Amino acid sequence: MAYSSERSQEARRSFLDPRTKLALVLVLALFVMGGLGAEQMKPLKTALSALPFLLLLAERQWGRFARGIAMLVLGYGLLFALPYLPGVLNFLALMCGGILTRFVVTVVMGEYLIATTSVSEFISAMEHLRMPQAITIPMSVMFRLFPTIGAEWRSIRRAMRMRGIHLGGAKASQVLEYQLVPMMTSTVRIGEELSASALTRGLGGSTRRTNICRIGFRAQDAVLLLGCLLVVAAWILELCGVKLW
Amino acid sequence: MKSESRLKGRDLINVGIYGAIYFVILFAVAMLGMIPIFLPLLSVLVPILGGIPFMLFLTKVKKPGMIFIFAMIMGILMLLTGMGPWPLLTCAIAGILAELCFRSGRYRSAKKAVLSYGLFSMWIFGNYLPLFTDYEGYFAQRADYGQAYIDAVQKLMPLWMAPVLLVACFVCGILGGLLGRKLLKKHFVKAGLA
Repeated sequence: MAYSSERSQEARRSFLDPRTKLALVLVLALFVMGGLGAEQMKPLKTALSALPFLLLLAERQWGRFARGIAMLVLGYGLLFALPYLPGVLNFLALMCGGILTRFVVTVVMGEYLIATTSVSEFISAMEHLRMPQAITIPMSVMFRLFPTIGAEWRSIRRAMRMRGIHLGGAKASQVLEYQLVPMMTSTVRIGEELSASALTRGLGGSTRRTNICRIGFRAQDAVLLLGCLLVVAAWILELCGVKLW
Repeated sequence: MKSESRLKGRDLINVGIYGAIYFVILFAVAMLGMIPIFLPLLSVLVPILGGIPFMLFLTKVKKPGMIFIFAMIMGILMLLTGMGPWPLLTCAIAGILAELCFRSGRYRSAKKAVLSYGLFSMWIFGNYLPLFTDYEGYFAQRADYGQAYIDAVQKLMPLWMAPVLLVACFVCGILGGLLGRKLLKKHFVKAGLA
């Protein structure tokens, strides 16, 4: 017999195991954004770049997918319009285009990770990886807080704009003080409530916690992890000077 | 006494809360670093602005290990956001130094707190290391940003900038610490947070 909460967990289960997601983020960060690897890795990198978009589609995150694609189109549009732009504009377009096309992929992957992984799933994955609590707890708190901080910051900026405190309207020091300080105050308050609730549920206790989340590797995880291994293997081979294709 | 100095769940959650605020500020500022002129200025802006959450964080630090964990988590996040493995190393070193410094003030001294933040801020130098350890390779990878961008960065970041940036991180860390303390007194004590 399955409890209803167990069934709902199963229904909410994400397409990938959180550990696979972490591995993908790491590989993308190292190769696509960090720029490891030379000429031979180009086709692999292109394939890697398409991955986060496909994953967003698989999770039916249409909004995020559309935003990512829009940024990508903007980036390539700028690069494409390059020869027709004069002096300074040309420089700006090249820079923005180069940066957008390079960063969008990793940003989209990070968004995918945060949007589709619940804190419980994340903790469960970290426990399976035998990470020490000293790393697991702060990291999961941070994962939980990032979207909250974003939302708080947006509403504080709106409120301060009403009072005429925004970049270009007031002194930079004022903007700093009246935007950063409230943002931090409310985040700390929210964090304290969060901490009380997490402690009640036994986070950081001495006994092993149980977790209702189901995580585990399935076929799609195996394929993607194999892909990660292939990329790393190709990179090592390239370093050793082996010609791949 | 031994159980007193062990880190509990609440301490680790605090590391997470302040780490999140610090990272959001760091990330927002680092986006500016895309513009060449801001790249060296990051070692000024990040320590100064990051001082506010960090000083608030230090008021919660009463046990050994919290600053070091904070630093290591920054290192891991840098790895995940594509800055390479160098920051992990500098984070470990800066974290230990900051920890020892604040510890010598028995986790209470305000002066040691400011100095400790200065030492901690030196981890930011790790983000520049890929540029200085492999000068040619770094620019070869960024060829698609355009020659104008590369020229601008090369002009701003000659090799002798490396020690300058390291010192800038430390000095601005001290300044950021002082700013943080000032805001602490002005706002956070009043709000009952520090």
